[in-house]
Amino acid sequence: MIAARWRDSVPLVVLAAISTAGALAAREPIGRLAPMRAFRGPTWTSPFGYGEAGVDLLPVVCSAAGRAMLLGAVVALFGFAVGTPLGGAAALSRGRFERAVDRACDLVQAFPSFILALAVLSAVRAPSRVHIAFVFALSAWAPFARLALAETRTLRAAAFVEAAFALGRRPSGVLVRHIVPHLMGVGAVQLGSTAASIVVSEAALGFVGLGPPDGVSLGAVLDQGVAAMLRAPHVLAVGAIAVTVTSGVMLLAGRSFAGVITSRSSR
Amino acid sequence: MTRAGIRAELVRTERSKSRAPHGARGAATAAIRVARVLLARAAESVVVVVVLASTVFFALRWLPGDPARLVLGDEAGPAELAKVRASLHLDEPIALQYLRFLRGLATLDLGDSLRRPGTRAMARVAGAIGPTAELALLAVAMGAVLGIAAALLASGPWLSPRGRLWVERGLIVTAATPLVAFAPVATWALAVRFRVVPLPGDPDAGAAGLLFACALLALPLAAHVGRIGCASLADVARQPFLTVARAKGGGPLRVWVVHALPAAVGPIVAVVATQLGALLGGAVVLERMFERWGLGTLLLEAYASRDLPVLEGAVVAAGGIFVVAQALGAAVHTAIDPRVRAAR
Repeated sequence: MIAARWRDSVPLVVLAAISTAGALAAREPIGRLAPMRAFRGPTWTSPFGYGEAGVDLLPVVCSAAGRAMLLGAVVALFGFAVGTPLGGAAALSRGRFERAVDRACDLVQAFPSFILALAVLSAVRAPSRVHIAFVFALSAWAPFARLALAETRTLRAAAFVEAAFALGRRPSGVLVRHIVPHLMGVGAVQLGSTAASIVVSEAALGFVGLGPPDGVSLGAVLDQGVAAMLRAPHVLAVGAIAVTVTSGVMLLAGRSFAGVITSRSSR
Repeated sequence: MTRAGIRAELVRTERSKSRAPHGARGAATAAIRVARVLLARAAESVVVVVVLASTVFFALRWLPGDPARLVLGDEAGPAELAKVRASLHLDEPIALQYLRFLRGLATLDLGDSLRRPGTRAMARVAGAIGPTAELALLAVAMGAVLGIAAALLASGPWLSPRGRLWVERGLIVTAATPLVAFAPVATWALAVRFRVVPLPGDPDAGAAGLLFACALLALPLAAHVGRIGCASLADVARQPFLTVARAKGGGPLRVWVVHALPAAVGPIVAVVATQLGALLGGAVVLERMFERWGLGTLLLEAYASRDLPVLEGAVVAAGGIFVVAQALGAAVHTAIDPRVRAAR
């Protein structure tokens, strides 16, 4: 049973392994320029072909996908860790605090965060991955807080929560011991979709030219592909497939985590 | 539902109608309630724009690095640095700078563009809003219509159960496909390889180019609207008033479009409102891809040249568009859903 639930995260593990292997097995430094072979099509020795200025795309895409997955996972976990207790606490305390958090979630979630990211990143000279992670973390908590809020609204009326209050537990204790464990399942699904959307946003930032300074980003590959659309469509295809697969794998993995957590808690 | 059940339902709706506030007093309290809601909304909108603008303001001043050096680069001499600092008022205390910034925000005047001296930053932003608003509004309309049509197809009786399942699967796959990946591929296939549509960045692409760009932007929105629409229609489909409509002899088109759809519109409007941020982000990506002039191109240009007043202005404008659209969403919901109208 557990094995079946883990099945959806197999693609994530496989992709992580492939991207690590692809990045480690590179025969030359990643992103080495060799103008002679610029935009050459895929061959057996280089299955993804070559990009702008003769960059071998396989190691670039592998390491970019790996880093994007890591970024997505880290930021989504941060959002989970901040948003879930926040939403739970808001729903437990009711009243003004609850309404404020609810409304803030609405706004932050719907807000053009991509544009905010552009503006905040302009404050640093060459945005690194840490800066990009920070910008995404500004809004990553909102979906988790909102889910936790909605779940806790039904949980707070449950008998075991009332019992815990009646036995004299403080609200913080109830939150940690009784509410948060119940929020893990919904949070896990959201974990996957938040991570996927961060992978896509990172690619979009790279695409418009705000990627990390080393240029190892799926968005930068897409950007090359668009610029060389007529000469070398394989670059565009590689970039587009890489972004779609990476984000899709994150989505699936989130579902599998949720399955594992709910199956544990229902036993 | 049995005939007696239908009659009971009809009686209940009649009763609830007669309980609605009538007369001058009812109208007055309703007007006060509406005014209070509107005032609260307006106050909230102002807070949102100010918080957003302040985030950008403080990010530029508190993050390590000197803004003047960001603008001029490393080779700038002290005299030039001092000049830029003075023109951005960076030599004043931060509280004074902030007050000045808030005043600029209130009067919609954030100073001159650094790169084009003599041009107001807000004037450049105002010039760029038009094309982006055109793109975004058309995309919202297109996405809403396409998504609602898909939701109706997936819920109504027109397709076989199998066909409905495929529509729903198509919606899920489309919603999971990132715009930044499929827009270039679609452009390559349709505009470059098969030349069905003109390239939207082409000056003489005209309406067809704009429509193509809007369709690209609308597709993810349509998928989200379709998915939420399906769920919302499934909820409404269980309601007794649809049975009443059918019992009164309404055809499927009448039952689903006239009776079910207005009741299902709330979540649809909500999802359009939550997707709006993503839509504006997508507009930036598309504008960059097609080299089309607009808010996104302006933002990227201001970013590349660190034209701070223009950057602040563009973000504030994006926030303003967002706030206005949210309010419009609420208004549309009230206008269409009869239950919300009755509650007022």
